[in-house]
Amino acid sequence: MTWVSLVHVVVSGLATGSIYALMAIALVIVYNATRTLNFAQGEMLMVSTFVGWTAMQVLQAPLIVALAVAVIAAALLGFVLERVVIRHAISATHFDVLIITLGLSLMLRSAAGVTWTHDEFPFPSFFSNRPLMVGPLRVAPISLGIIGASLGMMLALGALFRWTRLGRAMRAVAQNQRAARLMGISVERVYSSSWMIAAVVGAVAGVLIAPVIFLSSKMGLVAINGFTAAVLGGFGSMPGAVVGGMLLGVLENLAPLYLPASIKHSVPFLVMITILIVRPGGVLGRVARRKV
Amino acid sequence: MRRAALATGAVVVVGWPWAAPPYFVFLASLIAVNAIVAIGLNLLSGYTNQLSFGHAGFLAIGAYAAAILTIRAPALPVPVALLLAGLVTGAVGLALGVPCLRLEGLYLAMATLAFGFVVVEAILNLDGLTRGNDGLHVPAARLGPWSLATDTARYYLVVAVAALLIAAAVNISRTRTGRALLAVRESEIAAQASGVNLAAYKTLAFVVSAFYTGVAGGLFALVVGFVSPDSFDVFLSVDFVAMIIVGGLGSILGSVIGAAVITTLNDSLAGFQNYRPLIFGAILVTSMLFMPGGIASALRRIPGAGAWPLFTRRDDR
Repeated sequence: MTWVSLVHVVVSGLATGSIYALMAIALVIVYNATRTLNFAQGEMLMVSTFVGWTAMQVLQAPLIVALAVAVIAAALLGFVLERVVIRHAISATHFDVLIITLGLSLMLRSAAGVTWTHDEFPFPSFFSNRPLMVGPLRVAPISLGIIGASLGMMLALGALFRWTRLGRAMRAVAQNQRAARLMGISVERVYSSSWMIAAVVGAVAGVLIAPVIFLSSKMGLVAINGFTAAVLGGFGSMPGAVVGGMLLGVLENLAPLYLPASIKHSVPFLVMITILIVRPGGVLGRVARRKV
Repeated sequence: MRRAALATGAVVVVGWPWAAPPYFVFLASLIAVNAIVAIGLNLLSGYTNQLSFGHAGFLAIGAYAAAILTIRAPALPVPVALLLAGLVTGAVGLALGVPCLRLEGLYLAMATLAFGFVVVEAILNLDGLTRGNDGLHVPAARLGPWSLATDTARYYLVVAVAALLIAAAVNISRTRTGRALLAVRESEIAAQASGVNLAAYKTLAFVVSAFYTGVAGGLFALVVGFVSPDSFDVFLSVDFVAMIIVGGLGSILGSVIGAAVITTLNDSLAGFQNYRPLIFGAILVTSMLFMPGGIASALRRIPGAGAWPLFTRRDDR
């Protein structure tokens, strides 16, 4: 295989990888606040993308409106789910909350199926699909666009965590909830904001990826790859989530070149099992020891 | 009281094929198959607190093992085929359980979820053995002189195996092993300090759970008469989890009740496929929020029921 096509494969891998990274970040944000793996993250992405798409269709509006509506819908959905359901289970075990988010994901997917059917719909993109020639290289602007937009989103999140009051509060809660509360941080507000921010990140990822994988009730499954990405980078770490996502995207695109093509769908799962078993702390991280 | 209840239950179960129309006999067989899976899953998740979202994968392995054995070796008696299906699945459980010792909580949940996906992909790819997407038709198995060609015959087979496995599970839960598993659930550190070998018991729970599910898979293949990868998707694993959540974590009777409730519900919602996950999700969320101990724990509050050892305790949180 030539290096030209290798570059092509790696770039499109990085594009899907950015989406996995965004999903991983969303999962980690929720996890750091409420210590919950949100099984419904993918379905929240799917529902908010559908809402944005519907608004665009009804209003005959440009794509930017779809993005705006999707983001607002996502924030609202995140707020409502956290406030109405998750908050009531705050004293429950991980096991219980996991089951609750699993139930929510089933409900959201089914509700989307009832509202929008289980068909696949084409979704417009901000970026053109026509390949761009850079010397001998052929790259798709849509791949570059997804990578660029995702990186922008990640930088914005980084700034939020580093420099804003809310970001500092979120980091404090992630480190030690009791201490954070004693310092006068409203932990409940952090829960709310975390769920909303995670949902918004998902909505942006959804609008970016929908042109590639089509808009459908199944698109929430991308969250599973997001989880793999997060684990790959060491669950709980934001930079790890980004690295893990990119790595997974590239691996998934490279694997079919060297292995039987039918294996592509299993790659994320095989990667997940392998990394969990061999290096549960992720390629970058280390395993946190739990004290008695 | 307890004897009377057991006797009534036994009469109902044995007499069911005479009282109910054939379809309901088939449905009852499915309930019994699912009850076996639910018990197996409960031994792992409810007793030992090792969450699994991959039991559809184990069921698939058992089902395909039994189907292939029945097709390639028609002379093999059914109990042997079922036992082999269980053993094969148990071996896979061992292979998955040992590396999973390093994982806990949501990591384990995700690893088992991934396992379920990989099993389905493996079935699709091993089409020389499994005929991929086309699936396998399972011929009627033979048990000595009888051919298990009718719903009633298969029903009795399933019920007999289920009764055997329920009795075995009740016994396990009452012995030293069962107490060790419960201790692991309550606190791994405390259990270890009391001399419970964590690795051994967790692996044991995995193997026994896989064995139960493998046997159930074999029965599933015989009862339905057809196996294909579609039957074993991740939503089936979710159904199994729903069974033990609704029925009651850490309760054997609860597993059976949960299997009955979810299977019947699944069947009655067959005409509303679109709404099925909606209702299922709502059931999961509400039972977790308002009834964390499941139906079994609700029943336990009835006076006198506590004396019944089938209601193995799971302290309400």
